[in-house]
Order: sequence, then C-alpha cells, then structure tokens
Amino acid sequence: MDIIIKTATRIFFPIILMFGFYVALHGHLSAGGGFPAGAIMASAFLLLVIAFTEKEVENKFNEIKIEDIKSIASVSLLAIIIMEVVLRPDLLHTQTPLTLWSGGVTIYLNLFGSIVVASGLMIIIYSLIKEEWKSKKSTW
Amino acid sequence: MKNTISILVAFGFLFLFIFASTSIMPPENNVKDYYIQNALEKTGSANIVNSIIWDFRSYDTLGEETVLFAAIIAVFLVSHKKGLADKKKV
Repeated sequence: MDIIIKTATRIFFPIILMFGFYVALHGHLSAGGGFPAGAIMASAFLLLVIAFTEKEVENKFNEIKIEDIKSIASVSLLAIIIMEVVLRPDLLHTQTPLTLWSGGVTIYLNLFGSIVVASGLMIIIYSLIKEEWKSKKSTW
Repeated sequence: MKNTISILVAFGFLFLFIFASTSIMPPENNVKDYYIQNALEKTGSANIVNSIIWDFRSYDTLGEETVLFAAIIAVFLVSHKKGLADKKKV
C-alpha cells in the first residue's frame, strides 16, 4: 500500500487497541462489552495486515507466533469457565456499585471474553490473509 | 398431489402457531421487568445489557464463546495443513 495508509496505520494501531481495551474495561458501566471490544482489537490487527506486506508484519511480530495466540485464547476460555462455575459467588457483592471497580464477576468476564474474541478473530484473519499471500494474487 | 397437501398442512400449522403465539397466548415476559428493576442491585453493573449477557444468562454466553472457539480451531486446522499433505510430498 502507499505511504499514507502505512503512516495512518502506524499512528492508529495503538489507539484502536487502547480503545478496544477501554471498551472491555468500561463495559459494565457504559455501552460495550466483551464481544465488541474483541472485534475492535481484531479490527486494529486487520488494518495492520491490510496496510503492510508479509515481511513487514512478520518483522513486527517476530516473537509472537500464531500458536501462542491460540494458547492465549484457550487459557482465557478456561479462565472464563473457572470464573463462571467456581469463583462466581465469591466475586459478587465485593465492590461498590457505579464505580469502575464494580460489576462483580462481569468486569473479569468482559476482560477475558474480549481476549478470547480478539485472539480468535486475529487467528482467523491471519490464516485467511496467509492463504492470500501464498497464492500471490493479492491486489494490495 | 401429495406434495401439495403436505405443503398446505405445513403452512396451516405455521399460521396456526403464529396465530396462537400472538393472539391466543400473548407473550407474558415477566422476567424483563425483574431485570430492569433488580439488575443494579443483583449484579452491581450499571449497564443492564452487560449484566444480562455476562451475569443473568452467563451460561448462554459461555456456550457462545465455546462456539466461537470451535470455529477458530476449525479455521486453524483447515488453513494450517501441515499433516498428511506435507508427508506425502517428502
């Protein structure tokens, strides 16, 4: 892609990630929640993948592999299961309502649910774009 | 002829169910009033939608996450085919 989109992606990628994290953390007070937050974070990754080529993306994510993202998603799903089934009665009614630290079990579930959705959509986007890169018919 | 009769019977049952669900037995959803009145006390979260999704009906959401995870695993398995195909080439 041309330099305008690359520069804009470089600027907006951390902002979009931070906004997704904000939507996940603030989901029990304002509009939002786990699923939209994960979709926002994955859209940041989608912007990155569209704007840059294969080598640039893999240089940026040199340390992280796709298997690690998959294991992050599975660990977060396990955390959600444990919190909903085991820790649920202990986490309720421990915080003051209408502040950031409220919502009982909801705040943790929002956070981990957003991680599951974000990493899952990242895996799907990366798998599909890698097929596109392999066939080398990509127009961008 | 048989097909026509069966289609007519199926549509008749469909309209009967629609009629029954709307006029004979109108939906009395008492649980929505309970959610609106008690969501802040019971869960502590100001966002009622979020408290319904993650607290009142959280097992439903857990199943949703599991379905999403199954879809992720399916895409991963289909696109990262390192198994039989590569072994055959070698």
